[in-house]
Amino acid sequence: MAGVRLEHVYKRYPGSDVASVKDFNLDIKDKEFLVLVGPSGCGKSTTLRMIAGLEEITEGKLYIGDRLVNDVAPKDRDIAMVFQSYALYPHMNVYQNMAFGLKLRKFKKSEIDKRVREAAKILDIEHLLDRKPKALSGGQRQRVALGRAIVREPQVFLMDEPLSNLDAKLRTQMRAEISKLAKRLETTVIYVTHDQIEAMTMGDRIVVMKDGVIQQADTPETLYNHPINMFVAGFIGSPSMNFIKGGLYERDGAVHFKADGLDIVLTEGKASIIREKGYVNKEVILGVRPEDFHDEPIFMDASPNSIVSALAEVVENLGHEKNVYLAGLGTDTVIARLDGRSDVKEGANVKLAIDMNKIHIFDPETELNVFEN
Amino acid sequence: MELSWRSKLESLLGASIVTERIPAGGADIEWLNDAGGQGGTIKSGSRVTMPDGTIRLIVSADGEKVEYVDLAPGDLSGREELLLEWLLSELARADNADGGPGRGPNREMRRLGEWIQEQISAGRIKAAVPEDLNAGGRLDSERIPFLLLADHATTANDAELEKLLQAYLESDVLLVPLREQEWLILASDALLRDEGGVEEMPEELLEGIARGMHDMLASEWLGENHIAVAHPIEPASAVVETVFLLRETVALGRRFHQGDMVHLPWNIHLERLLSSIPEEQRLRFIEQTASRSDLLLEPEIVTTLETFFAMNCNVSDTAKKLFIHRNTLLYRLDKLKQDTGLDVRLFRDAVLVKLLLLLYKVTKRKP
Repeated sequence: MAGVRLEHVYKRYPGSDVASVKDFNLDIKDKEFLVLVGPSGCGKSTTLRMIAGLEEITEGKLYIGDRLVNDVAPKDRDIAMVFQSYALYPHMNVYQNMAFGLKLRKFKKSEIDKRVREAAKILDIEHLLDRKPKALSGGQRQRVALGRAIVREPQVFLMDEPLSNLDAKLRTQMRAEISKLAKRLETTVIYVTHDQIEAMTMGDRIVVMKDGVIQQADTPETLYNHPINMFVAGFIGSPSMNFIKGGLYERDGAVHFKADGLDIVLTEGKASIIREKGYVNKEVILGVRPEDFHDEPIFMDASPNSIVSALAEVVENLGHEKNVYLAGLGTDTVIARLDGRSDVKEGANVKLAIDMNKIHIFDPETELNVFEN
Repeated sequence: MELSWRSKLESLLGASIVTERIPAGGADIEWLNDAGGQGGTIKSGSRVTMPDGTIRLIVSADGEKVEYVDLAPGDLSGREELLLEWLLSELARADNADGGPGRGPNREMRRLGEWIQEQISAGRIKAAVPEDLNAGGRLDSERIPFLLLADHATTANDAELEKLLQAYLESDVLLVPLREQEWLILASDALLRDEGGVEEMPEELLEGIARGMHDMLASEWLGENHIAVAHPIEPASAVVETVFLLRETVALGRRFHQGDMVHLPWNIHLERLLSSIPEEQRLRFIEQTASRSDLLLEPEIVTTLETFFAMNCNVSDTAKKLFIHRNTLLYRLDKLKQDTGLDVRLFRDAVLVKLLLLLYKVTKRKP
């Protein structure tokens, strides 16, 4: 197994002025499960394809282990890829599909057999080894594609949206299975997805990308609780973070955030950062995650300075929780995620308290998080 | 049209490469060997001064025939002659590396490739393969044709590629080099004959084999590549026409479906038709069809519509495929209807939007 290091990597396509990947610097540790996430066109797949050797690196250096591999062919990089399409070889059975890469590398028959059967056992597809791909379900095919990669025992696994062709239920199941598998194999995995839930649930570390640039690379917890800018804050989390435009002002020694329909007081810890950075009397954007709105009486009593009133336009009852679409807080609809036992009614005015320890303030020009920069 | 190195050489020297069949052990070959073989036999790059003073550069030579270029004395400087001799010997070495010493079939395939090129250049797409290029009759049986284009400059030789393909296709494979980075692969049609199991349409199976081949070559060979596949043909009579079709398929596929690496002729009928419409008319169609057709450039809308069409305009299946709520999809479609005047749930409008989406990919619009 090995780590992967990218140093100042750029990708420019011929005829395009704009680089698809810009100054990408990242040190992926041995045995790390790293997820590249971002909207389509952000450069995540291009980055993975450069690591795989399917795209040439325009500028910069790529190391797998200690070896500079910029000019090494994909087959010689000691990596295994699982693509979105996971195109199995339709004229071969499952066993032959899994054995193919080893056969090409002239492994002994006994070794091939051992590895294929071990991988099949791990993936619970031993009973399918004689079947052709067309006789398999989507999930079984996905497992065979993983098996084809596993038997190679590569230094690094590269996976490009491997679950996107599966239905929602199977996707959730395979997500957990791939995570378990990575831990069991103790291998380095670089995984590309546009799905932030996949990223949050699978990655030891997540790299959020936009327009070919790394926005933030950190653990799921840090990305969620300490997003560095509005993009990361809005991308990670579902429903996404609410943004409310307003201004900060100081009265009686307290820093307030004021916008249409709300006037709330910042905690002293956050207020001192605001003062220190000179944001008092400036326009800012408030960021509140849906779950940081509360209607429990005990919370309301303890937070009299952060109570807001709004119209509950729509209430989505998900059983264990309720998503409430609120009008009257700033200009856009705000979503609050309340406990399933909440008695909030559609069309009613509701009073909610915001957890002020968890709010974020963003600079409207730079979109950076004032508390994290 | 890209020329083979032989054609390029002829064009640079302003002289033709002459092919002469020489009976083994004949007086002519003995004379050439004595004059240019430097103690052995003549080979690529050998230089022979003919009795009339003409410089004869040997392009290739085997036991049966010799290919050469005759140059008048003084046509080239001494240094140019040396350079040419070296170049020819290097090309011969590369040829041997491709086919291995004495490997007739690969050299035959190279000649077949050059012949196909010539026919396409001359517009003779219905031409039948001459008997001497028929690979011992192997082009008479039905074969599945694949066209392979490598994206990166390749350093591996044809022999390595042929081995990989033989391992993958588990059958006799004819690998015909065409242009630089482009090969025609003729595989046995036995691949389509399945012994029992689940029935599969030939198109599905051909697509599956092509997709598997793409992934296999991407990871086991030299990286990204494009592949097109057609129904089985009898190469002796249809190889030129098929190469023409597959090239057109790849070109249209790359143009209309960027990001897709496997291209299928039976999937691009509409694209072929649209690409034949003049630019001006395409532009007029776009301008006249939708009131705000620029909305069809938004990635979310494009993905939604492409999935909607791929799911045969079924709302529930599309929502499932996109992992969104059915109502979210309906909201998007309603918004599109409101903004463009086109409701893709109606067949007439769906056709127009499908055409617009395709035309956007190949039409330069006014900013």
